[in-house]
Amino acid sequence: MLSRKLVFVLAAMILLLMLALPVYAAPEVGKPAPDFKATDIDGKEFSLSALKGKKVVLEWTNHQCPFVVKHYGSGNMQATQKAATDKGVVWVSIVSSGEGNQGYVSADEARSIVEEQKASPSVKILDPSGEIGHLYDARTTPHMFVIDEEGKLVYAGAIDNNSSPNPDTIEGATNYVLAALDDLEAGRPVAVSNTQPYGCGVKYAH
Amino acid sequence: MEFMRSIKILLLTLLSLTIFQPGFAQDSTLQSPQESAPQSYVSIRLLAAKNTLAPGDKILVGIEQSIAPGWHTYWVNPGDSGAETRIAWTMPEGFATGDINWPAPHKIPYGPLTNYGYSDNVVLLQQISVPETIPAGPVTLTAKVEVLVCKDICIPESGTYSLTFNDPAAQAEDNAAWLAKAQQLLPVPVPWHASYEIDGEDTILKIRGDNISFDGIAPEGFEFFPLEWGLVNNASPPEVNLYQNEIVFRQKRGDRAIEQIPSTEIVVAFVNSQKQRQAVSFIAAQGNGHSAATTESPVASTSTAVDIGISGGIAGALLFALLGGLILNLMPCVFPVLSIKALSLVKAAEKDPGHARLSGLAYTAGVVLSFIAVAGALIALKAAGAGIGWGFQLQDPLVIALLAYLLFIIGLNLTGVFEISGHFGNLGDKLTKGDGLAGSFFTGVLATLVAAPCTAPFMAAAIGYALTQPAFIALPIFAVLGFGLALPYLALSFTPSLQKILPRPGAWMETFRQLLSFPMFAAALWLVWVLSQQTDQTGLLFVLVGLVMLALGFWLLNHSPEKKSARLLVQVLAALAFLSAAALLPFDKKENDPARIETLSFGEVYSPEKLGESLQTSDPVFVEMTAAWCITCKVNHAVAIDIDSTRKVFADKNIRYLVGDWTNYDEEITDFLNSYGRNGVPIYVYFGPPDPVTGTRPEAKILPQVLTPAIVQEALN
Repeated sequence: MLSRKLVFVLAAMILLLMLALPVYAAPEVGKPAPDFKATDIDGKEFSLSALKGKKVVLEWTNHQCPFVVKHYGSGNMQATQKAATDKGVVWVSIVSSGEGNQGYVSADEARSIVEEQKASPSVKILDPSGEIGHLYDARTTPHMFVIDEEGKLVYAGAIDNNSSPNPDTIEGATNYVLAALDDLEAGRPVAVSNTQPYGCGVKYAH
Repeated sequence: MEFMRSIKILLLTLLSLTIFQPGFAQDSTLQSPQESAPQSYVSIRLLAAKNTLAPGDKILVGIEQSIAPGWHTYWVNPGDSGAETRIAWTMPEGFATGDINWPAPHKIPYGPLTNYGYSDNVVLLQQISVPETIPAGPVTLTAKVEVLVCKDICIPESGTYSLTFNDPAAQAEDNAAWLAKAQQLLPVPVPWHASYEIDGEDTILKIRGDNISFDGIAPEGFEFFPLEWGLVNNASPPEVNLYQNEIVFRQKRGDRAIEQIPSTEIVVAFVNSQKQRQAVSFIAAQGNGHSAATTESPVASTSTAVDIGISGGIAGALLFALLGGLILNLMPCVFPVLSIKALSLVKAAEKDPGHARLSGLAYTAGVVLSFIAVAGALIALKAAGAGIGWGFQLQDPLVIALLAYLLFIIGLNLTGVFEISGHFGNLGDKLTKGDGLAGSFFTGVLATLVAAPCTAPFMAAAIGYALTQPAFIALPIFAVLGFGLALPYLALSFTPSLQKILPRPGAWMETFRQLLSFPMFAAALWLVWVLSQQTDQTGLLFVLVGLVMLALGFWLLNHSPEKKSARLLVQVLAALAFLSAAALLPFDKKENDPARIETLSFGEVYSPEKLGESLQTSDPVFVEMTAAWCITCKVNHAVAIDIDSTRKVFADKNIRYLVGDWTNYDEEITDFLNSYGRNGVPIYVYFGPPDPVTGTRPEAKILPQVLTPAIVQEALN
């Protein structure tokens, strides 16, 4: 009798403890990347978990942010995209600007911006509610995430190691995303897996 | 002059507006839906202390940002987004600049994000080193300043600004006062001890410092800013708890593995009692700092629920207390008393093992109760506001003299000069005979008394911890310390197998007993020497005469003639001898006399002013706190500090060596000890030289309490 009571009390305590644990939304490098589903700007359904077996890059963007302009105006982001997608990496550009905020665009505008930028993301997703942004705790534009074939987050942070908005600083900077992809390619653990993202704050809907 | 300067500033401002390039990507970025953007949101101004320079000069330059209302620029760690201000100098050959000195930032929330930066106006400071040879004529230094300025949107701005020195055509300029004002807004480097660790989903930062006073300061006014990113979730509000000399921040952890942040500079800003914002900076390291926070209730807190949790801190302190107590058994003043007690126990145990056990318990009770009594007195005095610490009782010459008397009497007894018999006291008698529970109890009291001067290495940490605790935690720690001291004897009294290991009692014990009198005499001698520093020559002579009187009194007591009248006479004479010994005790307390310590072989006398002054220089500083009655201090000084090789290191490195003497009561030294969580001497603190660029000293190093030359010399390197 006593032992049954004890088991019950213990179970109740464990349950309470689990309830008390905070929901930790921010993704952790080395852990599975949080899954999400969305409709892209071409109306196609997107699901991250469907991409198991492929490497994925997530890029938070806002075409009016000077730091995004630094990397698109110079052609650096496009070159990074091309280098990645040429190797079969799925590149997902995400806009989490809320309606009325800087960078908020309709699907039509988003398509013409991609064209203007001569960019080549595999998928572009509009996230005006900020749901995906908050899921990844995306803070800046650009804010980059690299996911390996098993769906594990292997890199989170800045595009490179020079946080200046000056495009002149791209030359000579280390591109963390390409470095992470190279490490994955070579079967090495990702050497630099977590850096401080820099850029404009994501213009979430308030 | 004033007019000329105003004109100059006006011209400079106009110039800065004209040469300002508004953004690298103005075409697309400035078409914000909310803003019809003017040209610039930040105007920059460069000011040097003066407009002349000489070879070898170090010149302070201020880079002022005047920021448009509602906009902000960033600190060196910008927080969740943004980018720090960058300054790139173009200068003639040989000129060098130091790091940017950043005033304490503010938290700038933006939606779910929080950034660290500045609004309205901020002055960054940089030092420029002038080489030994400079070109003749005007010298121009040019700075390219890149600023990211954000409101809802971000605009990068950059401009190029120049300072011209040694221009014969220019009026002399003096902006030293303006720069000094800007310097006041920089965080003040402080030698605080800080560490951080992850606790579940939170990062806990514990900071201990010198005499941090929280009078009139609300915990809500505290903010902390780590220089390293990812230590905390910038947007989550911290819980701030203020303890005596300690601040504890708890904030949601950041998204970076803490192992990647072995240490970081931290800026803490707070609103002082004059409602002004102040800031300090210090280095914090990853780890679990020794802290009052685990057990003490905060004096103030931002969280409404005050948590009193007893965890690792107290368990560790109890363990140290037990070890410290055990080690006390080996101290020269305690060992003789105990070894004789132990040998006599063997004899007693053969007759009556049950009685031996009781005697062990009585002894333990004596030790533990004495420790609790001393601790109780200490806590009561502390609560009454007295600036005292462990060993405080030894700051009183009366206590020292009484201890000297006591050890001398024990010594006399051991040599066999007298045997106390019958009605006269039971202390010394039972000490050697080993029977009588009261005797065992008082042996315990005696052991505590003679152990007091021997602050063993482990004891100081435990006692320092204990005294920062409320009484209900402090008293158990002292009790455990006493228990540690009593434990070997207690174990012996309960374990016949241990008793068998000891040599058989016999005639040799008498010889051994006499031999053990010499450590006692030596200890008495040492106490008299301590006394010589606490009293004047007359006082010293009085005590020495008192010792002779004691010897006479006991000798007399041991010679009781057959004749009743003669016996009475002897007893009266003995009583007179004892009375005069008592009358000769020093009853006057002496204040600490700093002049005395100046006879030290090297070093300077410690005072808070002297320390502050020394820390202002660029020399390293070494502080030693010692006391005449502290054997550990004396041994450390002799074997590890006052030796040729260490003195050479002191001289080579230009180390300022400050010595504080706690032999007598000294509140300033007590404060210093408290600020390092200690309540006793010795303590050795090394302040490394300041970084030549930032002017910030590394975190002060506390050396162990037992020193070797290697430990000292390594710490100084």
